[in-house]
Amino acid sequence: MAITKIIEIPYSLEIPVGPQHPALHEPLLLKVYADGEEVVKVQVYTGYNHRGIEKPAERNSFYRDIFIVGRVCGICNTVHANCYVRALEQILGIEPNNRAKYLRVLAMELERIHSHMLINAVMAEIIGFESLFMNIMLDRERIMKAKEILTGNRVLADYMMVGGVRRDINDEKKNKLLKLLNKTEKRVKYYKQVFMEDDTILKRLVDVGIITKTDVLKHSLIGPPARASGVKIDARASDKYDAYDEVPFNVVVRKEGDSWARMILRWDEALESINMCKYILENLPSDGNPVPDEKRLPRRFPPGEAFTRVEAPRGELTYYVMSDGKPMPYRVKIRTPSFNNIINTANVYLGHSIADVPVILVSWDPCISCMERITVLDLTTGEKKRMHLKELARGGRKWVSPRYSI
Amino acid sequence: MSYKDVLNKLVEEGLLTPSGEVKPHRPIYVFESGKIRELFTKLIDLAGVEGFYVSTIVGTDLMKDGKVRLDYYVVFLPEEETIVFRTFLPRENPEIDSLLDIIPGVLSGECETYDLLGVVFKGNPALKRGFFVPKDVYEKGIYPLRKDAKV
Repeated sequence: MAITKIIEIPYSLEIPVGPQHPALHEPLLLKVYADGEEVVKVQVYTGYNHRGIEKPAERNSFYRDIFIVGRVCGICNTVHANCYVRALEQILGIEPNNRAKYLRVLAMELERIHSHMLINAVMAEIIGFESLFMNIMLDRERIMKAKEILTGNRVLADYMMVGGVRRDINDEKKNKLLKLLNKTEKRVKYYKQVFMEDDTILKRLVDVGIITKTDVLKHSLIGPPARASGVKIDARASDKYDAYDEVPFNVVVRKEGDSWARMILRWDEALESINMCKYILENLPSDGNPVPDEKRLPRRFPPGEAFTRVEAPRGELTYYVMSDGKPMPYRVKIRTPSFNNIINTANVYLGHSIADVPVILVSWDPCISCMERITVLDLTTGEKKRMHLKELARGGRKWVSPRYSI
Repeated sequence: MSYKDVLNKLVEEGLLTPSGEVKPHRPIYVFESGKIRELFTKLIDLAGVEGFYVSTIVGTDLMKDGKVRLDYYVVFLPEEETIVFRTFLPRENPEIDSLLDIIPGVLSGECETYDLLGVVFKGNPALKRGFFVPKDVYEKGIYPLRKDAKV
């Protein structure tokens, strides 16, 4: 009997990104509405566990806040601390010496390398390429080790301080860091090649989640998503803070604007960062002790306001700090890159299939440690089904044969 | 047209008034809150859609002055110069027109500033309490970043 009628059953998908992760200032829920497989509407819900860090920052001293803001994000804690500390230095009129500036850049670039490796690993996992995920994570450990050698901690570094950094390095540490970077460089080049050539990756990422240059700017998108759409913005190049005016690097820009371009751009940036780290280690200035004497730091902050920008791994991170002459800041305003990149991109998902949603979401580089669960709600029957994000990315299938190996 | 020419033009037309700077080297221009749409429409005409982006909106409660200060940090391209557009609103009834229909990128900033500080962006349909603030706080009508808010 011939088919005379097709009934399309609308599905509503709730994708909870949360309940919280330190890097997402605003843990959120993407509520995806799909007509069949096609996404027709996306709503972004926020506020699941807003920690309100700006309020306690107003109730603690300027110096204590360095440790508070370092805990906004686990992945990129040194850039948060750096941005805040530089705002304080602007208010105080203090400038660290060159060695401290170089060491700051070294810590932040190590963070960029491991952050970019992490999100590329997560992308591999999301599309079912788990062996690639595990290999990238294994190599990422070298950078975590390097960060530990430099700062004393592999994650939360608390490395930045007003007027400098907390630890110096010697020749032995320098050589260890160079060895780790040289080993990692080979692997990053290899992973970039895999992302350039592997059929599975190309099929899942190319032409998915395209965003034009005009839309990037209208929606205030920043960082790798902007640069992958041809917008050359990079706070390191424009503000030239710390040692970025002396350490040579290229701002990587691509024109494709799709999920694949965003991931390849991160590999290119990781390679740039490795070169920057090697340059710093080989050209580290010796103009004094980079660790200032805490007891001699000013106790009083004059009235004033500062707005500092830093190029975090996910994009432009900004801090506004206002002092009214009292021991605590009058106002601290933090704007993380994910705040713009996640909330303002609901339109990019439209027209794609449900399985593309996790791919697009991951390509923005949100902090995703908490977004594994997904509820599929059949609006007709009211039946709910929970599935993992990975499962959703595979079109609802629970298991995919891991045929791919590297 | 360079960003300096754009700013000079807006100053000439009386939409902006130079007023010092935020460190490091972020010039401040003050505007009348009632002319915000006129200002940004003109800005788009002069600089183009691809000539700038709104980086962030910073609201500050100036309780002693009875005002709420609103700063729009605008980054001009390709120079990537950050300029501060500043305005003041009455603390009792802080209202300003939304820019959402002409600059979609302000969505996150407007929603956050409303929820945390109580500034109403007229014409923004996405404004809601609970954007960030937990239910037990916003049900009491508290805007956490107000200086007299006890959270």
